[in-house]
Amino acid sequence: MNLIKKLASGNEALAIGAYKGNARFASGYPGTPSSEILDYFKQFKQVRAQWASNEKAGFEAALGASIAGVRSFVTMKHVGLNVAADPLMTSAYTGINAGFVVVTADDPGMHSSQNEQDNRFYAKFANIPMIEPGDSFEAAGFMQYAFIVSEKFDLPVMVRLTTRISHSLGLIKYDPRPLDNEKELCIEKDFKKYVMIPANAIKKHKSILEKLEQLKDFSNETPINKIEKGDLNVGVITNGISYSYAKEIIPDANFFKVGFSYPLPVRKIKEFAKDFDKVVVIEETEPFMEEILKSEGLNVEGKKYFPRDGELNLDIVEDGLKKFGALKEKKRVYFEEFELPKRPPALCPGCPHRPIFDILHSMKDVFITGDIGCYTLGSLPPLSAMHTTVCMGASISMGVGVSKVQDKERVVSIIGDSTFFHTGIQPLIDAYVNKANMTVIILDNRITAMTGGQPDASSGFNLNNDDFEPVNIASLAKTIGIKNVFEIDQYDYKNTKHILEREIYKEELSVIVAKRPCVLAPKKIKDTPFVVTDKCIGCKRCLRIACPAIDFKDNRAIIDETICTGCAICEQVCPVEEAIIKKSEE
Amino acid sequence: MNIDSILFAGVGGDGIITASNVAAEAFILAGFDVKKSEIHGMSQRGGSVSASVRFGEKVYSPTDKLGSVSFVIATEKIEALRCVKYLHKDSIMIINDRIMPIINQEINEAEIDAMIKSINIQTIHIDNFLEFAKKLNNEKVINTIMLGVLANYLPIDNKYFHKAIENIIPSKIKAVNIAAFNEGLSIGK
Ligand SMILES: Cc1ncc(C[n+]2csc(CCOP(=O)(O)OP(=O)(O)O)c2C)c(N)n1
Repeated sequence: MNLIKKLASGNEALAIGAYKGNARFASGYPGTPSSEILDYFKQFKQVRAQWASNEKAGFEAALGASIAGVRSFVTMKHVGLNVAADPLMTSAYTGINAGFVVVTADDPGMHSSQNEQDNRFYAKFANIPMIEPGDSFEAAGFMQYAFIVSEKFDLPVMVRLTTRISHSLGLIKYDPRPLDNEKELCIEKDFKKYVMIPANAIKKHKSILEKLEQLKDFSNETPINKIEKGDLNVGVITNGISYSYAKEIIPDANFFKVGFSYPLPVRKIKEFAKDFDKVVVIEETEPFMEEILKSEGLNVEGKKYFPRDGELNLDIVEDGLKKFGALKEKKRVYFEEFELPKRPPALCPGCPHRPIFDILHSMKDVFITGDIGCYTLGSLPPLSAMHTTVCMGASISMGVGVSKVQDKERVVSIIGDSTFFHTGIQPLIDAYVNKANMTVIILDNRITAMTGGQPDASSGFNLNNDDFEPVNIASLAKTIGIKNVFEIDQYDYKNTKHILEREIYKEELSVIVAKRPCVLAPKKIKDTPFVVTDKCIGCKRCLRIACPAIDFKDNRAIIDETICTGCAICEQVCPVEEAIIKKSEE
Repeated sequence: MNIDSILFAGVGGDGIITASNVAAEAFILAGFDVKKSEIHGMSQRGGSVSASVRFGEKVYSPTDKLGSVSFVIATEKIEALRCVKYLHKDSIMIINDRIMPIINQEINEAEIDAMIKSINIQTIHIDNFLEFAKKLNNEKVINTIMLGVLANYLPIDNKYFHKAIENIIPSKIKAVNIAAFNEGLSIGK
């Protein structure tokens, strides 16, 4: 038997574990840090992996596959589970047929998220099991195990990753062959199990509570909740990535490493804890384990010494353990940080979102409800043309509210194509039905750019590279019944400005679909670059478009030809004739 | 427990992830346990990028501890300066002599250079590695040259790097990367 040994990210390892666990169907919606899982999974033979329009749809597709007898899973980032919370709560009632796993990747530290919610609470909320790997090696093994647990208890199982686990690499070793399938399952028709009318659901709720009791026993016995003995008279209860920090800082402590975190193995932890004078819980973000253990009467401490916000790391864990009294005070020696300019992210050179924000920036009496995607960068200076960003799909619906209660400001809602398909269509219908006086700009760059360029309904190809006729957003808006629907090319600055100004001041609902494709995906676009000539007067107008290719030195703009894509927006906003010109080809 | 680390720092598009993968593979081939972390949230949008390759007999944490990184490769000077809190007095830094502009900010290069001079560690090797890369007719091998320079200080045999390049770099550019690595070795001697 040939074992493969390789360095793999948590996301890759999880996909390998899913395959080895005989998952053959997966769906999901992209979101950092979860996005790469389906890309890895689709590479296996005889599997089907596909993007859904949003997490709820992805969840339900995978649940359907499970009921049809195929092990399946769904992937999403933490906030995605808010969108999929509806099927989550009731799939706990129906249970599953073939193993079904819900993968959620949380983002402590908010590397790329709008909030820092701790999704462990969802397992408790839905009364389903939760499994938490701590590195790539465990991601592979625990994922495979999750399918077995799911079938054993007839429940969806949550597997929770965090950014550090998804995006860190560690060594894994595995036999590439999938396991023999324990049993062949068929599609299941079972009215009492899958049709959640009250009469059935009432019985199901009781059965969930019974399963919860069985799960408590199981949690005390599963080998993924394990004790590691040490010489110090200190007990550390920890999970996920926190374990790796703690193990490195205080290797001689006694560890209770929680891999099955809901329901917690309370009995086993009680037995563990009684041997030590001091027991501490180390967990990232919320005091999830700490509160449960305290409510069970354990004398443990945790958040008194460790922050409740942000990521943990080796230094924070060390500081906490010092305060807790498990480590001796020793001064840490390191160099002071320099005061340095930050490197804020910016729209790429050539990004088609840029001209829209440059134009909106110059309009003073507009209120712009924004959304989530690359275009959220349009809220940063110098473009500064977005007044709200809450969650995916909120732009149009919030705009409807703003437009209905005031008329001092013109209302503009900005949303990307992927976000529009995610949760923007229903709000657009609401805008039409409620006669909202607003302008909706849909930035249709034909891709989900922010999360790495995953295809969406506008791309014309799917995760498996099958072609389809792209969903036409302008036609869709017209079909809804909206009269003022226009397509524009943002690289034509003058016409874009003309249409924006005309529609924004109309006392009606308008939809503008901006059609320029993304410059990064699916193809990198690079045309002949532009250069600055002697005619430049140093007025800095071109700097206001915030293009990374434009810098300013010795009273003149300069363009970095290596990254300029030739979009010509700087040339069009420049007030001086021939100060910026296309580089001659010879 | 002896865990050490190579920290790679730069900006999006610098190829840092690939360079760190080569280093990680070399240490695995040499029999070490390795964990690697990457921060690239907004990298494609011009943000800072970093990666740590932590190696030892058994490595738990993928991220570094203040004052405990012995090796740094920085493809840009401001990003190099961001790493100082992880260094100790015996650390080795290899820095590409370049500044990547930041949108709408004027940067005083002399000030940046003075800051770099003030870092009180064993070795700072700063060079315009682009020039060496141009000599090899491939501007993209800067990182491999820098890895070669650093390899003079690393506790593993160079053959593991050669093998790692074989394993990880696409075949069309394998040869030039091997040449770049060897060039770096001799620059750093
Ligand atoms: C509920 C939820 N799911 C996923 C994400 C992650 N996410 C942020 S923006 C985005 C999509 C952006 O695509 P699009 O709207 O087409 O804009 P673009 O980035 O292409 O400009 C995704 C998937 C999120 N923030 N919230």
